[in-house]
Amino acid sequence: MTHETRQPLASDSAAVHLSARQWLCALGLSLGLAWLLPVAWPGFEAFEPVPHYRVPYELSNDYWLYERWLDQLPPDAIPVVGDSMVWGEYTAHDGTLSRHLSDATGTPFANAGINGLYPLALWGLIEHHGGALANCRVLLHCNLLWMSDPEADMQLEKEQTLNHPGLLPQFAPRIPCYRADTDTRLSRTLERRLEPLSWARHLQQTYFDQKSAPEWTLADDGKFPPTYPNTYRLPVGVEGMPLSAESPSAERGLASERHKPWSANQSGQVNMEWVTPGSSLQWQAFRRLAKRLQGRGSDLLVVVGPLNEHMMNDATREKYLGFRSAVAAWLSEEDIRFVVPEVLTSDEFADASHPLTEGYERLARRLATGPVFRAWLGQ
Amino acid sequence: MLFHTWTFLLFFIVTIAGFWALRPTRFWLHWILLSSAVFYGWWHPYYLLLVFYSTALDYFIVGWMERGPRLVRPGWRFTASVVALVGSVAVGFVTPDGWGGLAVAAGFFAVILAVGHWLRSRRAWLAVSIINNLSVLFFFKYAGFAIENLNTLLARLGAGQLPSAESLMPPGWEYVLPVGISFYTFQSMSYTFDFYRGAIAREPSFVRFAAFVTFFPQLVAGPIERAKNLLPQFATFPRIKWPDVTDGASLFLVGLFKKVALANYLGLYVDRVYGDVASQDGAALALATFAFGWQIYFDFSGYTDMARGVARCMGFRLMLNFRNPYLAVSLADFWSRWHISLSTWFRDYVYIPLGGNRVGSLKLWRNLLITFVVSGLWHGAAWTFLIWGALHGLGLIANRGLEQVAWWRDRCPRLAKRLVVFAFVCFAWVFFRAESLGQAMEILHRIFTTGWADPQMPLLLLLLVVSVWVYQWVYESPSRGWLEKPPVKVGLAVAMILWMLLFAPGGGEPFIYFQF
Repeated sequence: MTHETRQPLASDSAAVHLSARQWLCALGLSLGLAWLLPVAWPGFEAFEPVPHYRVPYELSNDYWLYERWLDQLPPDAIPVVGDSMVWGEYTAHDGTLSRHLSDATGTPFANAGINGLYPLALWGLIEHHGGALANCRVLLHCNLLWMSDPEADMQLEKEQTLNHPGLLPQFAPRIPCYRADTDTRLSRTLERRLEPLSWARHLQQTYFDQKSAPEWTLADDGKFPPTYPNTYRLPVGVEGMPLSAESPSAERGLASERHKPWSANQSGQVNMEWVTPGSSLQWQAFRRLAKRLQGRGSDLLVVVGPLNEHMMNDATREKYLGFRSAVAAWLSEEDIRFVVPEVLTSDEFADASHPLTEGYERLARRLATGPVFRAWLGQ
Repeated sequence: MLFHTWTFLLFFIVTIAGFWALRPTRFWLHWILLSSAVFYGWWHPYYLLLVFYSTALDYFIVGWMERGPRLVRPGWRFTASVVALVGSVAVGFVTPDGWGGLAVAAGFFAVILAVGHWLRSRRAWLAVSIINNLSVLFFFKYAGFAIENLNTLLARLGAGQLPSAESLMPPGWEYVLPVGISFYTFQSMSYTFDFYRGAIAREPSFVRFAAFVTFFPQLVAGPIERAKNLLPQFATFPRIKWPDVTDGASLFLVGLFKKVALANYLGLYVDRVYGDVASQDGAALALATFAFGWQIYFDFSGYTDMARGVARCMGFRLMLNFRNPYLAVSLADFWSRWHISLSTWFRDYVYIPLGGNRVGSLKLWRNLLITFVVSGLWHGAAWTFLIWGALHGLGLIANRGLEQVAWWRDRCPRLAKRLVVFAFVCFAWVFFRAESLGQAMEILHRIFTTGWADPQMPLLLLLLVVSVWVYQWVYESPSRGWLEKPPVKVGLAVAMILWMLLFAPGGGEPFIYFQF
């Protein structure tokens, strides 16, 4: 700021100035590497799913892993697609619907559910990461609990913290309780369309405790006073989370404290408002999903429910049955095969929609003996 | 709208498409103006009112200035004008609530415009422009600080309290600091100053002048352009050549990397340490202060690089704002490399009018101190910024003294000089970064009095910063040719792109300098 200051020149800046040809090389190399790395990555990362595999809970947001799981399903395996009911919220990985269906039918079924999904996000998952679900048989579960009140149906204007926001329709249809800014929406739209970004998310989820590599180097151990275990580690050669099997969890499985009938916690019946099929965002998303799978040449079977009717009071049950009839009517209209299983016993439900291990087993046996299901299986 | 967001990418694609499509017409300039309004209004539509006000005011004032004589002896008119001005401000304080504040502001501006017409001279119009621009800046940026300090003083004297700045806003209007207000106000004022000094001619087109003030790449964080450089570039549609596009893209890439990969990463470490000063020891605080020095450099110079890159892709050249400042060998050298557009602004419009360095030692010291204290206050309304500015002023004075010492001037190694300058600049950054004067003092106290344990700065972060420092070092050395070899440049570009794709933390963190 004195008279001696000389006029700066553009060349004084240490910027990296590339010519057009150099830009072409740099972009070609960058894009080539960005697309090649996810393709080559499976060669460096072992993934040998255990029997009755499901995507581990900790990796629920790793959609690249989900795609990889679908891609390497045996050709004769039938994926069972759905939310945490399919995934098995209260059960171990070998106590889920797909496992019991495999046992009951002798045909391999694969758990293609992810924890924390709901129809609006399930649509996004299958639309953007379920390309492998084409020209094959798919069992799709329809969990009507998501239509049981305006909040679950995501119709309320009040902002909600949502699971899997990256799978939601970002711009249309409008979801009132989803309040991300434009840039977040754009960035989520791009992430699910560009594989390198999806793969980068996989690296974060698997190797860097669900953080970016820089954030991981700064992460503390959660104790007080904190220590920083990754300070002197570089983000190479880091041991990742196990992909091929989930870690034992006290939250799920027969030995878990959570694995008990719903009535052990709450005995009263509840009132559910239910939305109408015409206004339901989740039901619209489910319809889009079913049509999308059909459009991909998949031979679809929809399992509607069962919900825990024992929890419902009479008015609620009446509304539920009305909604369920509307669902059945639409599926018939669209020539989509479907089954509406009989309700399980009260002791077989852990909550309003999730069966316990015995519930899944009974449900699988009932499905396997049903004529529609057998016809669909070709048995 | 932030440069490092997808929203901006979409905006820029639409802007450049419209800009190119309109090139055969005269509406390309209107398009720039519209794009700039969208870019700025994206934050808050009411910001547009302020930028439009500043722009229109200086445009018309220069028009009136052109017609007026250089100086008219005002006599009693001057006294009456001052009384009217003070009176209108006083009315503001007695009717503070709701629309009263706005009405008084409107009255105040009407009075000073009337005063300008009444006094007629160029100098009067210059004063009107300065008062007007600084009043807006003062209200939005400094009123809270000033009223808070005055109320503390009044409370000690047992006098009544002044109303808060918030209460002067119209009902339903939030009292927020408009993003970039200091930048565009200074840019607009520089046009008036330059015209007054006869350095430029009056710009007859309002659209062209408005495009100059609001040109979106540099609107919110500079570089603070001069009319002499940018206005002529808006005279005709620019001839855009391939090197403009490739150089622009190169600048943007480097700026994006500085912000997304470096500044944001450093910010995580700095926030961790500065967020809990009481439990940090000397080493962590010292290192976090160094880290902040680099963070603010990468953040601000990254923004500038992106701004220059975007402008360059459209065929416009904005001035260089940073030139490897941490390689400076003296504080004067530092200020010729750091935020060049602001330091030259203060040099031209504050330091030189005060007498510059063509005066005696005492006056020179005074000029330096005044210039740097004002520069500190430009950055923010807090005692910490004022002290930061004063420290630099004192540092420059000391630096001039040091340059008289033969050993320092001729024999001290350049590396040692660089380290001393860097250490001093970082010392001053403590005041810049601290949330209060008390916290700044606590940080300095802890740096020098507590033990020095492992500061837990990530090795990766350290490697990145050291790599950049070495890069800049080589760039300014005779070995610079190595960095200009195509494989090196392409390799660096690929590394930056892949790093951002794979490792950059998510989230569009705002730029530090937006708050100024």
